[in-house]
Amino acid sequence: MAQSLPTHDDPELRERFERDALPLLSSLYGAALRLTRDQTDAEDLVQETFLRAYRGFGGFTEGTNLKAWLYRILTNSYINTYRKKQREPQIAEGPEDIDEWYLFDRLGGRNVEGSAEEEVLDRIPDEAVKRAVESLPERFRLPVLLADVEGFSYKEIAEIMDSPIGTVMSRLHRGRKALEKALWETAKERGFVDA
Amino acid sequence: MRECEPECTETLLEVEAYLDGEVDAALAGRITEHLSDCSPCMDRAEFRRHLKDLVQSKCEERAVPDVLRERIQHLIADP
Repeated sequence: MAQSLPTHDDPELRERFERDALPLLSSLYGAALRLTRDQTDAEDLVQETFLRAYRGFGGFTEGTNLKAWLYRILTNSYINTYRKKQREPQIAEGPEDIDEWYLFDRLGGRNVEGSAEEEVLDRIPDEAVKRAVESLPERFRLPVLLADVEGFSYKEIAEIMDSPIGTVMSRLHRGRKALEKALWETAKERGFVDA
Repeated sequence: MRECEPECTETLLEVEAYLDGEVDAALAGRITEHLSDCSPCMDRAEFRRHLKDLVQSKCEERAVPDVLRERIQHLIADP
């Protein structure tokens, strides 16, 4: 039975891994960077993810969601191996304290002269947006990355994070609020808004 | 401001899930219809959509270091 063979001893399985899993390398690396916030750790995390995936590929059912399967391995590897040595940024207040329309209300207010809300967002440099995402506590950062960067559905995120769908929705919502606040602070620091 | 109307309340409550493609067809239809004739709600929905697009475009990192690509190729050849 093919499933009992290690992937490297099964040419068909190995070929399928190269064809289907390898093209997802770059998106997994992007997620690893935002999770670990460190290039060396991200490279190690992706390597570990591919090693585990390759070894376990015989147990993956062809035709099911390979991308979600790989992200689940990435997430578990990150939690088991890398999270311990990462420092979580300290935030003074929890995302639950943030207003529903935190950023819209501020950018739409009197502080932004003659400029649409979206234009202020667009002026924030790429690196600053990345830093804002990376500043989110991990339990909020992960669902935001999975939903907004990778386009996973709530159900897929629940499977990847091994969490109930209600928990995913709540963390995603709170993560987005926290991100709005971080982007506002960035825009203020850079003088894009008067505050 | 028409936010006190029930359609506004429903739309603003559900707009996040709506933009994520996570509401059922009936609700999505009601929200789409409401947004088309309520500009304050539309402004907020557009802002949320823009924010979502911003996170995606800025956080997409697609350049894999050669050394990592080689390491992955190597482990497939000899795990």
